[in-house]
Amino acid sequence: MTTALTQGLERIPDQIGYLVISEEGVLASAGELENDEHTAGVIMQMVRTACRFRLHGAAEPLFKRMSVMFEDYVYAVTISGQKVFVVKRQNNQREPVIV
Amino acid sequence: ATCSFKMVCGILVKPLIPDPNLNKIPTNGSDRNADSLPSNRTDEQALLTTILQRTALNIIDVSAVDSQGMEQHEYMDRARQYSTKLDVLSRTLSQKKPVPLPSLSSQPHQVLAADLVSYADVQQVSKIAAYAYSAISQIKVDAKEELVVQFAIP
Repeated sequence: MTTALTQGLERIPDQIGYLVISEEGVLASAGELENDEHTAGVIMQMVRTACRFRLHGAAEPLFKRMSVMFEDYVYAVTISGQKVFVVKRQNNQREPVIV
Repeated sequence: ATCSFKMVCGILVKPLIPDPNLNKIPTNGSDRNADSLPSNRTDEQALLTTILQRTALNIIDVSAVDSQGMEQHEYMDRARQYSTKLDVLSRTLSQKKPVPLPSLSSQPHQVLAADLVSYADVQQVSKIAAYAYSAISQIKVDAKEELVVQFAIP
């Protein structure tokens, strides 16, 4: 089961780590997020909070993916089948240079 | 809960705003020319008035009380009643299950592999957040009355 969950995550371009989290805890982790329960905990809280935002009492959450952006990297987060998927990706975007 | 509180303490509610049916609040001395205001200004006033009215209805002004004494045994009975009620409620509360996680996508890998948020978007969001922070930090309370008063206990 872990392979099915993580295979897709492994192949994500410029990923440097990932987590798969359920209500019970971390199901899988790799790369820079290997065994990172602290980050898992924080991200769970963040995504739960984000899910509570509803426009005018709409039934569905507003978003497909939550991105936590830092200077050089991004945590991309989504939820599917009662599991939270987190992937840490490199963020190489800079201010566009006008030539 | 407001009703029970009134019974226990024998409080007469004195509304903070004299006329709860008042549908206009004074707007710092300016004339009441609601007709000539643009509609979203009037909506905003109406919204503020509603909030004010609701607050006034929910507040019990304990400083404006002529407290009538309660017999010791009445007080003990009432306290016991409430204690029982609280026990029942706290039992129900602890049984509440956490909200299940919603599903955001049926293709999590695809969603996570998609293009990252653009630099331009991040800049825009940061700017908006900065404006919001600035606006919020300018909110202040303009206290017209004493906020802390003596609660008269016989």
